[in-house]
Amino acid sequence: MRTRVIITVSGTLAIVLGATILSHAVSAQTSSPAQTSSPDGVAKPPVYDPYPPGILPSDLNSELARVVREVDFIEGRALAQWKALTPPVLTGQPPTLQGTGTAAIEALGELMNYDRNISPFRDIACASCHMPYVAFSGPIPSVNLTMVAYPGTVHFRAGKRTAQRYPYAPFFPVLQYNQVQGAFFGGNFWDSRATGYLLRNPDGEQAQHPPVDTQEMGNPDTACIAFKLQKASYRSLIEEIWGRGTLDIDFPAVTEKICALPGGAFGTNNTPVPLGPEERTRANQVYDHWAQALDAYEQSVQVSAFSSKFDAFLEGAYTLTAQEKAGYDLFRGKANCNSCHLDGRSTAPTPPPPEGTAPNSQDTGAAAATEPLFTCFGSANLGVPLNPRDAFYYQNKPDFFGFTANPYGFGYRDLGLGTFLRSGFGAAPSPNATWTQFAPVSDGQMQTSSARNVAMAPKQCPTTEAPGPYFQKEFFHNGYIKSLKQLVHFYNTRDVYKFNVTSGHCPPGKTEKVDCWPMPEVENNLDKTVGNLQLTDQEEDQIVVFLQTLTDGFTRPYSNSDTFTGACMQGGSAKTQGNEFLIPTPPLPPCTSAVCGVPPLPTMPIP
Amino acid sequence: MSALHTKPAIAAAVLASLLFSSSGAAQQVNAYAAKAKVEPPAEKAPRVQIARGPELESADENSATIRWTSNNPGGSDEHFGVVHYGTSPNELNQTAKSHIRLNQNHPDTTFRVSVERLAPRTTYYYTVDSMQASGASDKVKSAVGKFTTPGPGERVMNFPQPK
Repeated sequence: MRTRVIITVSGTLAIVLGATILSHAVSAQTSSPAQTSSPDGVAKPPVYDPYPPGILPSDLNSELARVVREVDFIEGRALAQWKALTPPVLTGQPPTLQGTGTAAIEALGELMNYDRNISPFRDIACASCHMPYVAFSGPIPSVNLTMVAYPGTVHFRAGKRTAQRYPYAPFFPVLQYNQVQGAFFGGNFWDSRATGYLLRNPDGEQAQHPPVDTQEMGNPDTACIAFKLQKASYRSLIEEIWGRGTLDIDFPAVTEKICALPGGAFGTNNTPVPLGPEERTRANQVYDHWAQALDAYEQSVQVSAFSSKFDAFLEGAYTLTAQEKAGYDLFRGKANCNSCHLDGRSTAPTPPPPEGTAPNSQDTGAAAATEPLFTCFGSANLGVPLNPRDAFYYQNKPDFFGFTANPYGFGYRDLGLGTFLRSGFGAAPSPNATWTQFAPVSDGQMQTSSARNVAMAPKQCPTTEAPGPYFQKEFFHNGYIKSLKQLVHFYNTRDVYKFNVTSGHCPPGKTEKVDCWPMPEVENNLDKTVGNLQLTDQEEDQIVVFLQTLTDGFTRPYSNSDTFTGACMQGGSAKTQGNEFLIPTPPLPPCTSAVCGVPPLPTMPIP
Repeated sequence: MSALHTKPAIAAAVLASLLFSSSGAAQQVNAYAAKAKVEPPAEKAPRVQIARGPELESADENSATIRWTSNNPGGSDEHFGVVHYGTSPNELNQTAKSHIRLNQNHPDTTFRVSVERLAPRTTYYYTVDSMQASGASDKVKSAVGKFTTPGPGERVMNFPQPK
């Protein structure tokens, strides 16, 4: 599939269409009052705003500008570090970049990660949705509080899920269906759609999606990334690593114009850049190098640092406080978090039945039996309610380029892994048809993220929890949960405070997320390991304290965590954090057949 | 890298391992990467016995959750609790199952199963079992229990959040 065949007729049509749209875009910009420009003065199309009032946060533009400044600052720092690096020496058989080869490819990945020139309007880098001071999750508190998904290069198209953290994503294996477990393990993304089937590296394949995701960096063609890397300030580093000639692709003159337009501007044509088969192959190879370099950065000690209090504890260099220890015992005992978020220790300190699973204080765990990555690489449906604030639901009208992200509006349901296995709407094509049969038993499942760094926040506002000063994060795939206290309370009481309502409609006298949990977005395959853990309020707090020991940067500084220049939030309670932004879920139309009507059908109908 | 069982090859392997261990500290992260894999299934318990329950955790007019704790059955981590139920103790002809994930490090396992589409103010009888991902039963023996769903708008909660 790497050698894509260009069909001459459709390719020509695409160029004509692209050129037409381009001239349309330019002429429209001269008359539209809504036009904006990127930080470099790049002309931009009119703002796409299909949103009802209140969905987009009021400080969105200033916050996006802040993140651009921070991204540029880190890019500048990375350039200086690269230039200070002793060049590696290519030697040996097989040839190896001896000495600083590892540092070189990690530096390249970092330079790519913070390079916003890769996006058509030069306003979005990978890092724009993944900043280091929050462990490479979403960097804008108001977005985390409201629209959930981050704006892409076209303002304001947006995706549909929260930005997953980078750290430890490189450690996920290639997606496999485990016959014994009857379940999938591995891959990257919430729906595991970056399988690693070709590069044998799910994290690398993950890095190939956002640059051409219509609602993210938004390039119309993967070849555009190779085209832009030809002009990158770090081009010589690419050639140093992969050899001279790596970037020698003969792009036609029209490429510049095509790659300055977003995906969706060329209809369903995914290869509007007119390249012959050989040039296309070389562009694809460059895109694989893009994947490898970003994976190298994400696996480096700058990102996957293993530098938390918990790592120090494993080495015997830190003694957990009484609260941290109590939280840890609950995490792997009564609360059973480590049935999926594996901590790598061998024995949990729990007495046998009939006393149940209450923790005692004796730690009988030996050294790590599995890697302490705090994930099992699997997926589960935790029954998170539909979040009506998710920007995706509102993008049901065409934008300036005729692109509609979600024609189904609130008829969309996020079936996660199940939709990917069907190659369904909003996912990606599955490379393995033998997996499709497992879609009905995978509906609603989302990847079990590493619990590491879930609590990371900038130094100025060093907690995720109100009253703070705190940094507002968002949790789970649709950002419904706004604090770790709520997250633990959800696992603990989902089935205790269950109400057959949607978000925003809890009965009078009940407080959503405190003593009322709306119904799951997807009931199918609901995981019942959790939902009524019998934890007290104090025990929930102790687990939050333990989660905070998983934050990197304790044994040594976390790279670039000093770059946050925004404002902290203050006041309120972690229990109800963000509740003032709850909105009533509208009456939901049935799940669109584009999602729920694709065979093999869900085991029970999804309303 | 096909194995060549010659002395020079073995010597080279020894040398390589020495070189690797001498640079072990610098390779800390990559050592984790090399080992990243999915855990194998646990050893199956010879006999799975219920230590507590089964009993009604909660119910509303058209659904219920049945809960019990057994010794850890082992086998595949991906596991299912199973409830056979019906309105007569002699006709437990309906089945509900719910997914849970075993904790290999726990001596016991709590199963919780959602039973849906029930009628209000109706008494149901049930037995429970559990099974591996393959469908193989853990062969749990449980007595026939019963519960009654409440009326519309009512809710029974036998396992509230502890204070």
